[in-house]
Amino acid sequence: MTMKLGLKLAALATAVSALLWGCGPSKPVLNLYTWSDYIDENLVKEFEKQYNCKVVIDTFDSNEFMYAKLKAGGSGYDVIVPTSYMSKIMNDQKMLLKLDHSKLPNSKYIDKRYLDNLAIDKKMEYCIPYMLGYTCIAYNKEKLGDIPQTWEVFSNEKNKGRMTMLNDYRETIGAGLMFNGYSINTRNEKELEKAKEQVLKWKKNLAKFDNEVYKAGIQSGEFLVVQGYSGDLFQVLDESPNLSFMIPKEGVMIACDDMVIPASADNPELAYKFINFFMDPKNAAKNMEYTCYAAPIPEAKKYLPEELRTHPGMIFPEALFKAGQIIQDLGDDNAKYLKVWDEIKISQ
Amino acid sequence: MNTMNHKSDKKLPELLSTAPSYLWLFVFFLLPSLLVFAIAFKSADSSGGISDSWTLSTISNVLRQDYIIVLWRTIWVSVVVTALCLLLSIPVAYWIAQQPKKYRYWYLLLIIIPLWTNFLIRIFAWRTLLHPEGFLRTALLWLGVIPDDMFLLNNMGAVITVTVYTCLPFAILPIFAAAEKFNFALLEAARDLGASRFKAFYAIFLPGIKRGILTAILVVFIPAMGSYAIPDLVGGVDGELLGNKIALRASANRNLPEAAALAAMLSIIITVPVLAFMLKHKRLLRNIISIRRSAGDSTK
Amino acid sequence: MTFAVMIFMYLPIAVLIAQSFNSSRYGGRWKGFSLKWYEALFRDSSVINATLNTLVVALVATLVSTVIGTSAAWALNRYKSRLQTSHYGLVYAPLVVPDVLMGISMLLMFVSFKVELGLTTVILAHITFCLSFVAFTVLARLQDFDFTILQAAQDLGAGPWRILWKILLPLLGPGIAAGAMMAFTLSMDDFVVTFFVGGPGSTTLPVKVYSMMKHGPPAIINALSVVFMAFTFTVAILGQIFTRKKF
Repeated sequence: MTMKLGLKLAALATAVSALLWGCGPSKPVLNLYTWSDYIDENLVKEFEKQYNCKVVIDTFDSNEFMYAKLKAGGSGYDVIVPTSYMSKIMNDQKMLLKLDHSKLPNSKYIDKRYLDNLAIDKKMEYCIPYMLGYTCIAYNKEKLGDIPQTWEVFSNEKNKGRMTMLNDYRETIGAGLMFNGYSINTRNEKELEKAKEQVLKWKKNLAKFDNEVYKAGIQSGEFLVVQGYSGDLFQVLDESPNLSFMIPKEGVMIACDDMVIPASADNPELAYKFINFFMDPKNAAKNMEYTCYAAPIPEAKKYLPEELRTHPGMIFPEALFKAGQIIQDLGDDNAKYLKVWDEIKISQ
Repeated sequence: MNTMNHKSDKKLPELLSTAPSYLWLFVFFLLPSLLVFAIAFKSADSSGGISDSWTLSTISNVLRQDYIIVLWRTIWVSVVVTALCLLLSIPVAYWIAQQPKKYRYWYLLLIIIPLWTNFLIRIFAWRTLLHPEGFLRTALLWLGVIPDDMFLLNNMGAVITVTVYTCLPFAILPIFAAAEKFNFALLEAARDLGASRFKAFYAIFLPGIKRGILTAILVVFIPAMGSYAIPDLVGGVDGELLGNKIALRASANRNLPEAAALAAMLSIIITVPVLAFMLKHKRLLRNIISIRRSAGDSTK
Repeated sequence: MTFAVMIFMYLPIAVLIAQSFNSSRYGGRWKGFSLKWYEALFRDSSVINATLNTLVVALVATLVSTVIGTSAAWALNRYKSRLQTSHYGLVYAPLVVPDVLMGISMLLMFVSFKVELGLTTVILAHITFCLSFVAFTVLARLQDFDFTILQAAQDLGAGPWRILWKILLPLLGPGIAAGAMMAFTLSMDDFVVTFFVGGPGSTTLPVKVYSMMKHGPPAIINALSVVFMAFTFTVAILGQIFTRKKF
């Protein structure tokens, strides 16, 4: 009797949710799992109209969390947008569909310079590059004037308590590695030790390690120098003339987010159409304008408004194809980075 | 419903009223918690999965010195936050409870309304308030209260302030609930008998609302021990608390077993003393209730 | 003192309201008055969707947890047996477990029983953590409840339903309402647990806000908070007027 009551309540909960969300005409649904604010909604609406379907967007804010969730059995997503190193891990774990390029005619537009120099999946076997970004430094030009192009900016004690670096062990240790001229994917413990000493030196002057508030902080003048992701920073820079950006001469890290189709997708056919739609140069241009990131589609430049054709966020700086480094997964050696990062965090 | 008087029939209503919550929490709380304790005895593999074999290495790893430092930091921050919340909420509850009944609930509503905004947004608003060039710091600098190189944000002070801010309504509510039932005539009586105002407050009011205070301590201290969004958003370079470590291990570091072990450690540290205390306290409560009931029976 | 605390409570809220009219995207500096975030809010389907999700979850979770929680409080208060001692522990424990642990553990359980993650799992999880709060809020009321009234009602021949409707609910009503309110508030604001047990189509407002903070314009959320507070306040005032007429 009481069991029944409990079951009834559970059933009620399910029924209410099903009622509210399951109803309506049964159009095909595409479930997209991506970063927040990373796609132009008008384009999504256009896609919905063109293919008479519904796109449901869910967002994640770290590759690892998305991965953990999928690994734990989360299914139902048709297109996911992980960063390259994570696409590779997912592919190695047999979680992704091998792409059928006959269904992706627009893949011919993808930038060869990117594929040859930087890409992990050079033949686009399991992923299509969606957006390129890089880590750079934004600073308050009004207060600091011009500053030299180097990571050494974080050693300046005058700005103590007004600077941030990312709360990301690969990015921030990576900055220390690049400063010393090492690869950001090194497995050498001595090199990591030197990077650690460097980051510790910087840490003394930092307000915090941060991924969340630096955008608002640099704009409001709370922070004077921040390390951040290019698209995010340019969104702020474009509306703040008192700010400027800088690419350290020692090198920067490049990140590419890919579109992949998980093996568990409910609707892979629609997923192909979706990916193809966003490789169309015209659409890619609109999407770039919205996100401030660079789609690796050179043709798209034509469709950008005149004044944006030299925008350093949307048009990937040529030099970075050679000088930039891309994060790779290190497998078991990942633990070395984590250990160094823990030591950095705890040291007073 | 004569069942109450017959021992043999007494079981049915008890079972009926107990079963829903009992079964629900057994399935959705106890079972999953045990699962986590089990996973603390596993280790992570390189792809971020959970190994098949059992090991003690994850547990011993968690007892490292740097974790202990973070744990210690978490405990003292939580203690300070709890103390401040009590200090602020007792006078407020005392005051509201003495207001005319028709206004009381409006005051309560005023206390609750800030909770209806998203808590991350509230934290963000604090960042504007404590801004280095904001009005608060400028004023404090002008008054000479703080040195030039001191900031209000990105340090433990900010973490404590904002945590107190988010927890305060949860502390005021139970204390108010207790204060409302308190017989304020007792205070007057004490004053008539020559007790000072402070003495009456301290010796009669506080013991009178003891249960409310205990509840407030619990509802503030426990979330404070597990908090991670606040240290993340307003804390500084050395502001990491245990909650941050757990979240980091569970997400970016792809080490679910270590996250589970840390979470288990945290919950043991909180749960064991609290449950022990509550069981002891419960006996006390039961005594009071049974005394009252037998008193009622005898008058009948 | 109360006044000082009120200022402390409302200072950030004032900032938030001001920011919602600030035309700057990140709310750093004042860049002039603007209603554009309100416009953007009503155009942004993902925010509206998240709001709907949040409300559905909070309403269902509040309803179910209030019923089960009240029944639990009743049992805990009325009966003293070994069963109730373990029941007490079981109801108590979720209060002293950090969100993070609850989130991870439920995620693992849903997965091992092959329950597909989504709005349903979010609702189940919310009921779980709301339940204990309701139970203890109601229990606090019950402990001051004079049970001789029930005896008297029985002696006068009242049936169990009559006792429930005419005596128990009116007397315990404020306690139950307080519990429900607590549950609603907790569910509305929960981020951690939802983040873990959510799946396709279950993004709630706090989850949305968190990712917006990292990547999108949080200004929209300021506007949303203001709309929400205005809504709550109106409901509260209407409620007050309504009850005044009634009595």
